[in-house]
Amino acid sequence: MKLKMDFVSSASLNGKPEKNKINFILSKVRSGSILVLDGVMKPEEEMNLIKETMRRVDDGFPGIEVCSLKKEMKGLKLLFDRVSDSKERFWNWMIKGPPKTELKSGLTLIGPAKIIKKIKKNPNSFSVSAEV
Amino acid sequence: MVFGRFVNWIRNFFRTRRDIHLGIYGCTNVGKTTLANLIAKDWTGDEIGTASPIPHETRFVQKKEKVVIESNGKKLSINVLDMPGLATKVDYRKFLKFGVKRKDAKERAKEATQGVVEAIKWLNNVDTVLAVMDSTKDPLTQVNITLLGNLEARKIPVILVANKIDLKNSKPDDIKEAFPQYPVVNVSALKKMNIDQLYDAIIRHARKAK
Repeated sequence: MKLKMDFVSSASLNGKPEKNKINFILSKVRSGSILVLDGVMKPEEEMNLIKETMRRVDDGFPGIEVCSLKKEMKGLKLLFDRVSDSKERFWNWMIKGPPKTELKSGLTLIGPAKIIKKIKKNPNSFSVSAEV
Repeated sequence: MVFGRFVNWIRNFFRTRRDIHLGIYGCTNVGKTTLANLIAKDWTGDEIGTASPIPHETRFVQKKEKVVIESNGKKLSINVLDMPGLATKVDYRKFLKFGVKRKDAKERAKEATQGVVEAIKWLNNVDTVLAVMDSTKDPLTQVNITLLGNLEARKIPVILVANKIDLKNSKPDDIKEAFPQYPVVNVSALKKMNIDQLYDAIIRHARKAK
């Protein structure tokens, strides 16, 4: 069996409604791909990804394994990040329709639980064991 | 949309405070139901649910209302909510290893996925959370990280419960090291170890939610 990995730039997901992002991720993972994103979803988005995954679990798709590494921010970068969050929340509050968010700096790996057997995470790295 | 949020804000501003909803969250098989049963039995005499070594034994949110806990002369009325275990995967084949029949295993898996969805929805209604972790296992799981990130974003007070400290391979310090920004209470829900410390922590931190 072949192992397929998709490396996706955060630019292709940024600014999209959360629902579209989750649909994109789950369609890739359900088809057997391991997805690597050069960004990190917000905790609320990640929780919604888990929720949506649970709705799609069936005999052939037991779910996902996910691991992310968020870039630590300090000082001015942290301040800018929080200002950017507040700006995003404000615009999403003002506009009608589904909220649009951007990925944070970092790395995320999402793959089918059928293939990924174990993820060992450390504060600054993670290792993945897969079985094809 | 803006008007709706304004109405909600006004409603929340004037509402009378109800009892604290204490959500017991965590991965599967970390001892959530054992802990919920212990709290409920200590203060009401009744248990909430059935604990089991089979994952996803709790597949529906279980509730015990008006549990009045007391510590150091302070009282607090809480509604204890025992949540289904959070997970990113539910494979019915795993239940077969515990002797569950295939048909029942599939039904159990279906209910388990619905339970996870319910537990996540309840995040909008809990006031304080006990995030239970198995101190014999690696705490740096994505489920724990995502749960704590969500609680932080929602500004919900959280107490980390390092459970199963009665076991030889327990390493509660790993939990403190992994999540240094949160209060951690080391307990054994099964052996009733350090439970008074937990009640004290609940009263101290849940009051912040009031």
